[in-house]
Amino acid sequence: MNRHWLAGLSLAPLLGATQTLLQATSIAVLSLLAILLHRLGMTPLRRLLTGIGADVASMLLAATIVTCLELTLRAHTLVLYQSLGLYTALIALQCVMFDHAQGHTKGWRAPLSLLLGFTALCISLGVARELMGSGMRLAHLTPGALFLLGLLLALYNRIWRQRAPSRRQGTP
Amino acid sequence: MNRISLRSCMVLGALALLALAFSMTWHHYAAAPIRAAQEQLKAQTWLSVLPAERYDNNPLQHPIRLNDTQLAHSTLRAGYRALLGGQPSAVVLHSRTQGYGGALELLIAIDPSGRLIGLKVLQQQETPGLGAQLVEPGNTWLQHFIGHALTTTPDAAWALKRDNGQFDQLAGASVTSRAVIQALHDALRYFDEHAEDLLGGTVHE
Repeated sequence: MNRHWLAGLSLAPLLGATQTLLQATSIAVLSLLAILLHRLGMTPLRRLLTGIGADVASMLLAATIVTCLELTLRAHTLVLYQSLGLYTALIALQCVMFDHAQGHTKGWRAPLSLLLGFTALCISLGVARELMGSGMRLAHLTPGALFLLGLLLALYNRIWRQRAPSRRQGTP
Repeated sequence: MNRISLRSCMVLGALALLALAFSMTWHHYAAAPIRAAQEQLKAQTWLSVLPAERYDNNPLQHPIRLNDTQLAHSTLRAGYRALLGGQPSAVVLHSRTQGYGGALELLIAIDPSGRLIGLKVLQQQETPGLGAQLVEPGNTWLQHFIGHALTTTPDAAWALKRDNGQFDQLAGASVTSRAVIQALHDALRYFDEHAEDLLGGTVHE
Protein backbone atom coordinates (compact mmCIF):
# COMPACT_ATOMS: atom_id res chain seq x y z
CA MET A 1 0.00 0.00 0.00
CA ASN A 2 1.62 3.18 -1.10
CA ARG A 3 1.07 6.39 -2.96
CA HIS A 4 -0.53 4.63 -5.89
CA TRP A 5 -3.24 3.21 -3.69
CA LEU A 6 -3.78 6.62 -2.18
CA ALA A 7 -4.01 8.18 -5.63
CA GLY A 8 -6.49 5.50 -6.71
CA LEU A 9 -8.66 6.05 -3.67
CA SER A 10 -8.54 9.84 -3.99
CA LEU A 11 -9.97 9.41 -7.45
CA ALA A 12 -13.35 8.51 -5.95
CA PRO A 13 -14.17 11.87 -4.33
CA LEU A 14 -12.29 13.63 -7.10
CA LEU A 15 -14.65 12.24 -9.74
CA GLY A 16 -17.78 11.65 -7.72
CA ALA A 17 -18.10 14.71 -5.51
CA THR A 18 -17.05 17.56 -7.79
CA GLN A 19 -20.24 18.15 -9.76
CA THR A 20 -20.50 21.73 -8.60
CA LEU A 21 -17.95 24.17 -7.29
CA LEU A 22 -19.61 24.13 -3.88
CA GLN A 23 -19.42 20.36 -3.63
CA ALA A 24 -15.84 20.28 -4.85
CA THR A 25 -14.71 22.97 -2.43
CA SER A 26 -16.43 21.36 0.50
CA ILE A 27 -15.12 17.86 -0.17
CA ALA A 28 -11.63 19.30 -0.61
CA VAL A 29 -11.79 21.32 2.61
CA LEU A 30 -13.30 18.42 4.55
CA SER A 31 -10.64 16.00 3.34
CA LEU A 32 -7.92 18.49 4.14
CA LEU A 33 -9.30 19.06 7.62
CA ALA A 34 -9.82 15.38 8.40
CA ILE A 35 -6.45 14.26 7.10
CA LEU A 36 -4.59 16.99 8.94
CA LEU A 37 -6.42 16.22 12.20
CA HIS A 38 -5.73 12.55 11.67
CA ARG A 39 -2.04 13.16 11.15
CA LEU A 40 -1.97 15.44 14.17
CA GLY A 41 -3.45 12.66 16.28
CA MET A 42 -1.31 9.92 14.83
CA THR A 43 2.03 11.68 15.37
CA PRO A 44 2.07 11.10 19.16
CA LEU A 45 0.37 7.70 18.84
CA ARG A 46 3.11 6.42 16.58
CA ARG A 47 5.55 6.69 19.46
CA LEU A 48 3.36 4.39 21.57
CA LEU A 49 2.26 1.91 18.96
CA THR A 50 3.86 0.07 16.11
CA GLY A 51 2.81 -2.36 13.45
CA ILE A 52 -0.75 -3.58 13.54
CA GLY A 53 -1.50 -1.58 16.69
CA ALA A 54 -0.76 1.64 14.85
CA ASP A 55 -3.06 0.54 12.02
CA VAL A 56 -5.94 -0.11 14.40
CA ALA A 57 -5.36 3.22 16.13
CA SER A 58 -5.31 4.92 12.73
CA MET A 59 -8.67 3.42 11.81
CA LEU A 60 -10.21 4.33 15.16
CA LEU A 61 -9.01 7.88 14.87
CA ALA A 62 -10.20 8.22 11.26
CA ALA A 63 -13.64 6.85 12.14
CA THR A 64 -13.99 9.24 15.07
CA ILE A 65 -12.93 12.31 13.10
CA VAL A 66 -15.20 11.53 10.18
CA THR A 67 -18.16 10.70 12.43
CA CYS A 68 -17.85 14.08 14.13
CA LEU A 69 -17.45 15.84 10.78
CA GLU A 70 -20.54 14.11 9.40
CA LEU A 71 -22.61 14.99 12.46
CA THR A 72 -21.55 18.62 12.21
CA LEU A 73 -22.39 18.71 8.53
CA ARG A 74 -25.79 17.17 9.13
CA ALA A 75 -26.60 19.66 11.85
CA HIS A 76 -25.58 22.77 9.94
CA THR A 77 -25.62 22.10 6.20
CA LEU A 78 -27.92 19.17 5.67
CA VAL A 79 -28.44 19.86 1.96
CA LEU A 80 -24.73 19.86 1.30
CA TYR A 81 -24.33 16.69 3.34
CA GLN A 82 -26.98 14.96 1.27
CA SER A 83 -25.50 16.09 -2.00
CA LEU A 84 -22.10 14.74 -0.98
CA GLY A 85 -23.67 11.41 -0.14
CA LEU A 86 -21.25 8.63 0.65
CA TYR A 87 -18.19 10.64 -0.11
CA THR A 88 -17.93 12.23 3.33
CA ALA A 89 -17.74 8.79 4.92
CA LEU A 90 -15.12 7.78 2.39
CA ILE A 91 -12.80 10.44 3.77
CA ALA A 92 -12.08 8.05 6.66
CA LEU A 93 -10.53 5.59 4.23
CA GLN A 94 -8.57 8.40 2.68
CA CYS A 95 -7.18 9.31 6.11
CA VAL A 96 -6.05 5.74 6.73
CA MET A 97 -4.47 5.42 3.31
CA PHE A 98 -2.78 8.76 3.65
CA ASP A 99 -1.35 7.67 6.96
CA HIS A 100 -0.05 4.53 5.32
CA ALA A 101 1.57 6.38 2.49
CA GLN A 102 2.89 9.39 4.36
CA GLY A 103 2.80 8.48 8.05
CA HIS A 104 6.48 7.63 8.25
CA THR A 105 7.80 10.74 6.57
CA LYS A 106 9.09 13.29 9.01
CA GLY A 107 7.91 16.87 8.92
CA TRP A 108 4.93 18.39 7.19
CA ARG A 109 6.33 19.56 3.90
CA ALA A 110 5.76 16.49 1.77
CA PRO A 111 2.29 15.59 3.08
CA LEU A 112 1.15 19.20 2.91
CA SER A 113 2.20 19.58 -0.69
CA LEU A 114 0.40 16.34 -1.54
CA LEU A 115 -2.76 17.51 0.22
CA LEU A 116 -2.65 20.94 -1.35
CA GLY A 117 -2.27 19.29 -4.73
CA PHE A 118 -5.39 17.24 -4.06
CA THR A 119 -7.31 20.32 -2.91
CA ALA A 120 -6.25 22.33 -5.93
CA LEU A 121 -7.20 19.50 -8.28
CA CYS A 122 -10.60 19.12 -6.59
CA ILE A 123 -11.38 22.80 -6.85
CA SER A 124 -10.18 23.20 -10.42
CA LEU A 125 -12.21 20.15 -11.44
CA GLY A 126 -15.20 21.69 -9.68
CA VAL A 127 -14.72 24.97 -11.54
CA ALA A 128 -14.34 23.19 -14.87
CA ARG A 129 -17.43 21.05 -14.36
CA GLU A 130 -19.47 23.99 -13.11
CA LEU A 131 -18.50 26.05 -16.17
CA MET A 132 -19.04 23.31 -18.72
CA GLY A 133 -21.95 21.63 -17.02
CA SER A 134 -24.56 24.02 -18.35
CA GLY A 135 -23.68 23.30 -21.96
CA MET A 136 -22.34 19.77 -21.91
CA ARG A 137 -24.12 16.93 -20.22
CA LEU A 138 -20.94 14.86 -20.26
CA ALA A 139 -19.26 17.25 -17.84
CA HIS A 140 -21.99 16.48 -15.31
CA LEU A 141 -21.41 12.76 -15.42
CA THR A 142 -18.58 10.85 -13.82
CA PRO A 143 -16.93 9.67 -17.08
CA GLY A 144 -16.82 13.29 -18.17
CA ALA A 145 -15.08 14.13 -14.93
CA LEU A 146 -12.44 11.53 -15.73
CA PHE A 147 -11.82 13.12 -19.13
CA LEU A 148 -11.61 16.55 -17.57
CA LEU A 149 -9.21 15.30 -14.92
CA GLY A 150 -6.99 13.87 -17.63
CA LEU A 151 -7.09 17.16 -19.54
CA LEU A 152 -6.28 19.15 -16.41
CA LEU A 153 -3.32 16.94 -15.56
CA ALA A 154 -2.07 17.10 -19.13
CA LEU A 155 -2.33 20.88 -19.04
CA TYR A 156 -0.45 20.95 -15.75
CA ASN A 157 2.31 18.76 -17.11
CA ARG A 158 2.57 20.83 -20.28
CA ILE A 159 2.80 24.20 -18.58
CA TRP A 160 4.44 23.88 -15.19
CA ARG A 161 6.33 20.70 -15.04
CA GLN A 162 9.82 20.67 -16.44
CA ARG A 163 10.34 18.03 -19.00
CA ALA A 164 11.88 15.03 -17.27
CA PRO A 165 15.38 14.27 -18.46
CA SER A 166 15.44 11.30 -20.71
CA ARG A 167 16.38 8.16 -18.86
CA ARG A 168 17.04 6.16 -21.95
CA GLN A 169 20.43 4.60 -22.06
CA GLY A 170 22.64 5.47 -24.91
CA THR A 171 21.21 8.86 -25.82
CA PRO A 172 23.89 11.44 -26.39
CA MET B 1 2.07 -11.58 11.90
CA ASN B 2 3.64 -9.47 14.60
CA ARG B 3 2.28 -9.89 18.10
CA ILE B 4 0.83 -7.06 20.03
CA SER B 5 2.29 -6.34 23.42
CA LEU B 6 0.13 -5.83 26.49
CA ARG B 7 1.03 -2.16 26.57
CA SER B 8 -0.20 -1.64 23.00
CA CYS B 9 -3.42 -3.40 23.87
CA MET B 10 -4.01 -1.07 26.78
CA VAL B 11 -3.21 1.99 24.73
CA LEU B 12 -5.59 0.78 22.02
CA GLY B 13 -8.31 0.05 24.54
CA ALA B 14 -7.99 3.48 26.07
CA LEU B 15 -8.01 5.03 22.61
CA ALA B 16 -11.14 3.09 21.65
CA LEU B 17 -12.95 4.20 24.79
CA LEU B 18 -11.86 7.77 24.26
CA ALA B 19 -12.97 7.69 20.63
CA LEU B 20 -16.32 6.21 21.57
CA ALA B 21 -16.89 8.73 24.35
CA PHE B 22 -15.95 11.59 22.08
CA SER B 23 -18.24 10.46 19.27
CA MET B 24 -21.13 9.88 21.63
CA THR B 25 -20.77 13.26 23.30
CA TRP B 26 -20.59 14.89 19.90
CA HIS B 27 -23.65 12.98 18.77
CA HIS B 28 -25.50 13.97 21.92
CA TYR B 29 -24.97 17.67 21.24
CA ALA B 30 -25.59 17.40 17.51
CA ALA B 31 -28.78 15.33 17.72
CA ALA B 32 -31.21 18.19 18.36
CA PRO B 33 -29.88 20.49 15.61
CA ILE B 34 -29.86 17.55 13.19
CA ARG B 35 -33.49 16.78 13.92
CA ALA B 36 -34.43 20.43 13.50
CA ALA B 37 -32.52 20.64 10.23
CA GLN B 38 -34.17 17.50 8.91
CA GLU B 39 -37.62 18.74 9.77
CA GLN B 40 -36.95 22.09 8.21
CA LEU B 41 -35.61 20.50 5.05
CA LYS B 42 -38.57 18.16 4.85
CA ALA B 43 -41.00 21.02 5.27
CA GLN B 44 -39.16 23.01 2.63
CA THR B 45 -39.09 20.28 0.01
CA TRP B 46 -42.56 18.97 0.70
CA LEU B 47 -44.25 22.33 0.78
CA SER B 48 -42.60 23.47 -2.43
CA VAL B 49 -45.13 21.29 -4.23
CA LEU B 50 -47.91 23.68 -3.17
CA PRO B 51 -48.18 27.23 -4.49
CA ALA B 52 -47.60 29.48 -1.48
CA GLU B 53 -50.93 31.29 -1.77
CA ARG B 54 -52.81 27.99 -1.49
CA TYR B 55 -52.42 27.37 2.23
CA ASP B 56 -52.08 29.12 5.57
CA ASN B 57 -51.64 26.14 7.87
CA ASN B 58 -48.73 23.79 8.20
CA PRO B 59 -49.99 20.87 6.10
CA LEU B 60 -47.33 18.52 7.46
CA GLN B 61 -49.06 18.76 10.83
CA HIS B 62 -52.34 17.67 9.28
CA PRO B 63 -51.66 14.15 8.09
CA ILE B 64 -54.62 12.21 6.73
CA ARG B 65 -55.20 8.59 7.62
CA LEU B 66 -55.36 6.74 4.32
CA ASN B 67 -57.14 3.46 3.64
CA ASP B 68 -56.58 1.09 0.70
CA THR B 69 -53.26 2.64 -0.16
CA GLN B 70 -52.29 -0.07 -2.64
CA LEU B 71 -53.30 1.37 -6.00
CA ALA B 72 -53.13 -0.17 -9.45
CA HIS B 73 -49.59 0.93 -10.27
CA SER B 74 -48.42 2.70 -7.16
CA THR B 75 -48.65 2.88 -3.40
CA LEU B 76 -49.70 5.88 -1.36
CA ARG B 77 -47.45 6.41 1.61
CA ALA B 78 -48.95 9.50 3.20
CA GLY B 79 -51.42 12.29 2.66
CA TYR B 80 -51.57 15.82 4.01
CA ARG B 81 -54.32 18.38 4.01
CA ALA B 82 -53.65 22.03 3.23
CA LEU B 83 -56.07 24.59 4.62
CA LEU B 84 -56.79 28.15 3.57
CA GLY B 85 -58.95 30.19 5.91
CA GLY B 86 -60.08 26.99 7.64
CA GLN B 87 -61.28 25.41 4.39
CA PRO B 88 -59.42 22.54 2.75
CA SER B 89 -57.60 23.99 -0.22
CA ALA B 90 -55.55 21.06 -1.39
CA VAL B 91 -54.46 17.54 -0.60
CA VAL B 92 -50.87 16.42 -0.95
CA LEU B 93 -50.37 12.73 -1.64
CA HIS B 94 -47.04 10.98 -1.29
CA SER B 95 -46.94 8.28 -3.91
CA ARG B 96 -44.37 5.62 -4.54
CA THR B 97 -44.08 3.73 -7.79
CA GLN B 98 -41.54 1.66 -9.67
CA GLY B 99 -39.43 3.57 -12.15
CA TYR B 100 -36.80 2.20 -14.49
CA GLY B 101 -33.91 2.24 -12.04
CA GLY B 102 -35.77 1.72 -8.78
CA ALA B 103 -38.39 3.28 -6.60
CA LEU B 104 -39.76 6.61 -7.73
CA GLU B 105 -41.37 8.80 -5.10
CA LEU B 106 -43.68 11.62 -6.07
CA LEU B 107 -45.54 14.33 -4.24
CA ILE B 108 -48.84 15.09 -5.88
CA ALA B 109 -50.94 18.09 -4.92
CA ILE B 110 -54.61 18.03 -5.86
CA ASP B 111 -57.14 20.82 -5.31
CA PRO B 112 -60.67 20.14 -3.97
CA SER B 113 -62.13 19.94 -7.48
CA GLY B 114 -59.75 17.10 -8.35
CA ARG B 115 -57.36 19.16 -10.45
CA LEU B 116 -53.64 18.53 -10.27
CA ILE B 117 -51.95 21.68 -8.97
CA GLY B 118 -48.48 20.55 -8.08
CA LEU B 119 -46.07 17.76 -8.76
CA LYS B 120 -42.63 17.04 -7.41
CA VAL B 121 -40.18 14.18 -7.52
CA LEU B 122 -38.98 13.36 -4.02
CA GLN B 123 -36.68 10.51 -4.84
CA GLN B 124 -35.56 8.75 -7.97
CA GLN B 125 -32.88 6.40 -9.17
CA GLU B 126 -33.41 6.83 -12.89
CA THR B 127 -30.69 6.78 -15.51
CA PRO B 128 -28.74 10.06 -15.54
CA GLY B 129 -29.45 11.96 -18.73
CA LEU B 130 -32.56 9.91 -19.56
CA GLY B 131 -35.08 9.25 -16.80
CA ALA B 132 -33.28 11.55 -14.42
CA GLN B 133 -34.16 14.47 -16.69
CA LEU B 134 -37.22 14.55 -14.46
CA VAL B 135 -35.32 16.34 -11.74
CA GLU B 136 -32.95 18.38 -13.85
CA PRO B 137 -33.46 22.07 -13.24
CA GLY B 138 -35.32 23.66 -16.10
CA ASN B 139 -37.08 20.51 -17.17
CA THR B 140 -40.72 21.34 -17.79
CA TRP B 141 -42.05 17.90 -18.58
CA LEU B 142 -43.75 17.56 -15.21
CA GLN B 143 -45.46 20.91 -15.68
CA HIS B 144 -47.50 19.48 -18.57
CA PHE B 145 -49.67 17.63 -16.12
CA ILE B 146 -50.60 20.64 -14.01
CA GLY B 147 -54.23 21.57 -14.41
CA HIS B 148 -55.39 18.17 -15.63
CA ALA B 149 -58.19 16.37 -13.83
CA LEU B 150 -60.12 13.18 -14.45
CA THR B 151 -63.10 15.30 -15.48
CA THR B 152 -61.14 17.09 -18.20
CA THR B 153 -58.89 14.24 -19.23
CA PRO B 154 -60.60 10.88 -19.62
CA ASP B 155 -59.08 7.67 -18.26
CA ALA B 156 -57.92 6.45 -21.65
CA ALA B 157 -55.96 9.64 -22.27
CA TRP B 158 -53.71 9.10 -19.24
CA ALA B 159 -50.98 7.44 -21.26
CA LEU B 160 -48.12 8.28 -23.56
CA LYS B 161 -48.92 9.26 -27.12
CA ARG B 162 -47.26 6.07 -28.33
CA ASP B 163 -49.70 4.14 -26.13
CA ASN B 164 -52.62 6.08 -27.69
CA GLY B 165 -52.74 8.50 -24.83
CA GLN B 166 -52.44 12.24 -24.69
CA PHE B 167 -49.04 12.97 -23.17
CA ASP B 168 -45.58 13.35 -24.63
CA GLN B 169 -42.86 11.28 -23.09
CA LEU B 170 -39.51 12.28 -21.69
CA ALA B 171 -37.06 11.67 -24.54
CA GLY B 172 -35.50 8.25 -24.19
CA ALA B 173 -37.27 7.38 -20.98
CA SER B 174 -40.60 5.78 -21.75
CA VAL B 175 -40.53 3.51 -18.69
CA THR B 176 -40.01 6.45 -16.36
CA SER B 177 -42.64 8.50 -18.20
CA ARG B 178 -45.19 5.68 -17.99
CA ALA B 179 -44.49 5.22 -14.29
CA VAL B 180 -45.09 8.90 -13.60
CA ILE B 181 -48.28 9.05 -15.65
CA GLN B 182 -49.68 5.91 -14.05
CA ALA B 183 -48.87 7.16 -10.57
CA LEU B 184 -50.62 10.46 -11.33
CA HIS B 185 -53.61 8.70 -12.76
CA ASP B 186 -53.77 6.44 -9.70
CA ALA B 187 -53.57 9.39 -7.34
CA LEU B 188 -56.30 11.33 -9.13
CA ARG B 189 -58.58 8.30 -9.19
CA TYR B 190 -57.91 7.72 -5.52
CA PHE B 191 -58.74 11.34 -4.82
CA ASP B 192 -62.03 11.12 -6.69
CA GLU B 193 -63.00 7.93 -4.91
CA HIS B 194 -62.08 9.18 -1.44
CA ALA B 195 -62.63 12.91 -1.84
CA GLU B 196 -64.84 13.16 1.24
CA ASP B 197 -62.35 11.42 3.50
CA LEU B 198 -59.45 13.37 2.13
CA LEU B 199 -61.08 16.79 2.36
CA GLY B 200 -63.44 15.94 5.20
CA GLY B 201 -63.44 17.00 8.80
CA THR B 202 -63.03 20.71 8.46
CA VAL B 203 -65.40 21.34 5.60
CA HIS B 204 -68.37 22.19 7.75
CA GLU B 205 -66.60 24.13 10.45
